Amino acid sequence: MSDGRTLGQLLAQRGVSRRAFLKYSSYLASLMALPPAASRAMAEGLAKAPRQSVIWLSFQECTGCTESITRAHSPTLEDLIFDFISLDYHHTLQAASGEAAEAARHEAMAANKGKYIVVVDGSVPVGAGAIYSTIAGITNQQMLEETVKDAFAVVAVGTCAAFGGIPHARPNPTNAMPIRRLVKDKPVINISGCPPIPEAMAGTLAHVLAFGNVPELDSHGRPLAFFGDSIHDRCYRRPFYDKGQFAESFDDDGARKGWCLYKLGCKGPVTYNACATLKWNGGVSFPIQSGHGCLGCSEPHFWDMGGFYKPVSAPSDEVGPLAAIAVAGGAAAGVAAGLVHRAAKVKAKAAHTTVTVDDLEKTS
Amino acid sequence: MTAVDLLALARGPLFQIALVIFAAGVTLRIVEILVIGRRPDYAEARQGAVLSGVSTMFTRSIPREGMFRRNPFVIVSGYIFHIGLFVVIFLSAPHIEVWRAITGFAWPSLPTPLVDFLTVASIAAMLVVLVNRMRDPVLRFLSTFQDYLVWAATFLAFLTGYLAVHHMLLRYEAMLAVHIISVEVLLVLFPFTKLMHTFTLFMARYYTGATFGRKGVES
Amino acid sequence: MDPLEHAALSGTDEAAMAAKAEDSPLAMALLREISAALADYLETGETAVIDLKSLPMLDADRDALADLLGEGEVTATLNVAGESEVRETGYAGVWWVRHFGADRKLAAEQIEITAVPEILLAHRDDIAAAADRLAASLKTDPPEPMTTLDRDTHHV
Repeated sequence: MSDGRTLGQLLAQRGVSRRAFLKYSSYLASLMALPPAASRAMAEGLAKAPRQSVIWLSFQECTGCTESITRAHSPTLEDLIFDFISLDYHHTLQAASGEAAEAARHEAMAANKGKYIVVVDGSVPVGAGAIYSTIAGITNQQMLEETVKDAFAVVAVGTCAAFGGIPHARPNPTNAMPIRRLVKDKPVINISGCPPIPEAMAGTLAHVLAFGNVPELDSHGRPLAFFGDSIHDRCYRRPFYDKGQFAESFDDDGARKGWCLYKLGCKGPVTYNACATLKWNGGVSFPIQSGHGCLGCSEPHFWDMGGFYKPVSAPSDEVGPLAAIAVAGGAAAGVAAGLVHRAAKVKAKAAHTTVTVDDLEKTS
Repeated sequence: MTAVDLLALARGPLFQIALVIFAAGVTLRIVEILVIGRRPDYAEARQGAVLSGVSTMFTRSIPREGMFRRNPFVIVSGYIFHIGLFVVIFLSAPHIEVWRAITGFAWPSLPTPLVDFLTVASIAAMLVVLVNRMRDPVLRFLSTFQDYLVWAATFLAFLTGYLAVHHMLLRYEAMLAVHIISVEVLLVLFPFTKLMHTFTLFMARYYTGATFGRKGVES
Repeated sequence: MDPLEHAALSGTDEAAMAAKAEDSPLAMALLREISAALADYLETGETAVIDLKSLPMLDADRDALADLLGEGEVTATLNVAGESEVRETGYAGVWWVRHFGADRKLAAEQIEITAVPEILLAHRDDIAAAADRLAASLKTDPPEPMTTLDRDTHHV
């Protein structure tokens, strides 16, 4: 919890100098492609910021997002974010439980009114009176409303919170909603991904702390610094796509040569995330580098895009049988229509009488 | 509604609807023509009709010399965009994946730069034929709303496809959705408009060739 | 003076340099950028940072650039939230800065064009805090200097 002291003062007490802020900021500036001046401003901003109260709400989720952010790889540099925030409520990580945990949430909300950040992972079920998921005797929807009311901003981490994710997949039995559909009067930052990249979460929080504002977002509410380019745009296999060299299966010659995985259903062209540049597990690799197409986990409708192995250009549903039925139906209708026309022709011929000059004279 | 929603719609239900209208409509019209058939010709044939019919289907693809000389630029343009259409539809990698989804069959694709070049050439060629249609007084007089409609639908399919592949104007997912929808419009228009000439052209040529053949006339 | 010319004059084998330029167009492009940044610094005092990690650099490019820039007089190792390393290159005012995260994994790598990289300077706030601490410790006997070990105990 914040006690009025700045992060600079707090860390100085532990013998951590301002250099740590500079270093952390150059690290983030490199991740977020910020200009050098912004990096210095970020270091100053972070040092002058109070420790940020964060309330983390977990709804319909799998805890993978929490796993991801706590695996930001190092106990040194990358973990500095945990010194910058005060995680006042997180029902999986906190020591307190039951009423004590809820009391901590209320206390943090009261002490940091208008200043705390709410991080949400998981979607919120609103079907059947929102009773599909409850915590501490209240529904997720109630807890969200109550907690967000006095927040400074909301950060929806993970695809479930950002776009509905797995719970929102057809037929969406719980009527799961993304956070942006439910929170209208506060800024909501989406950091999608299943799970999101830990550096994207840390970098976004650090931006809010250092500059006191919401970073620039794309049309889906995601920070442009991490979601500005598609996987395809930054993919090292892109030259193969441009040349039209594609792997046809996961074990053919093309796959061995590292050709483009478009035909094997890679969703890179329609997926915006930083995997191709930041990579995973501390920069070791990312799916395409490991030989598998991008699943498109950071996009809306992640689960309803028609299967992981369907190319983005192909229809998402099964259409072969439908086309066959349409052809058969069309053929049957064509035969029927043809026969009707023929019958009409025969009838017209039968009704035809030869007109003579006499007939014409009669009528005139 | 976001671009991703639109893309999901375009790749899902809209594609199914368009495919059914196209496949059923085109089959209906072709079968109907075949079932109605031709008036029987009781005269003794001078020579075989079938061979003459089949050969006419192809020989008429070559322009008459006189016609060609009168307006070579426009005729070449016509060829370019028709060949472009064929290559783009059947030999570009993303489209082969659509064919695979519908028919279960796939075949090798042409290199992307080649398909790209033909697309640009086709777009230019389509502009040439449009300008020609609007400048030539006879052609302009003969043109109906439908002529412009099918031109626009075909042109948009080409243009949006090119823009999507090159990530121009809109983000890829948005332009891809627009492209797929523009093709779906083309598919829906197909059985109801002169776009049917894709198939009926060859039937008409066969009938003409066969008739001439029976009469012993070179066609 | 253009640093490329300078390098040629100061005895670098011109043929070797040409060979390197062919090997790594990226290193040569960076060298030109550094040269322009140095000129700017002299003229306006504007410092510059080139982020190497955001460039599609291969090890060969990095080696070529390191060879082209050479070694300077100063090398500093910092122990701040993990290790960091500041090296002066063969061109005064051009610094190669590397920040490491856990397991000595490279977290950031930059070329800085400045008199001295900011991270080497003690921040005014840190100096103020140090002055207070020192003054306070002089009042109580004996003075207890803070060790760098303390910073490793700050974990969540």
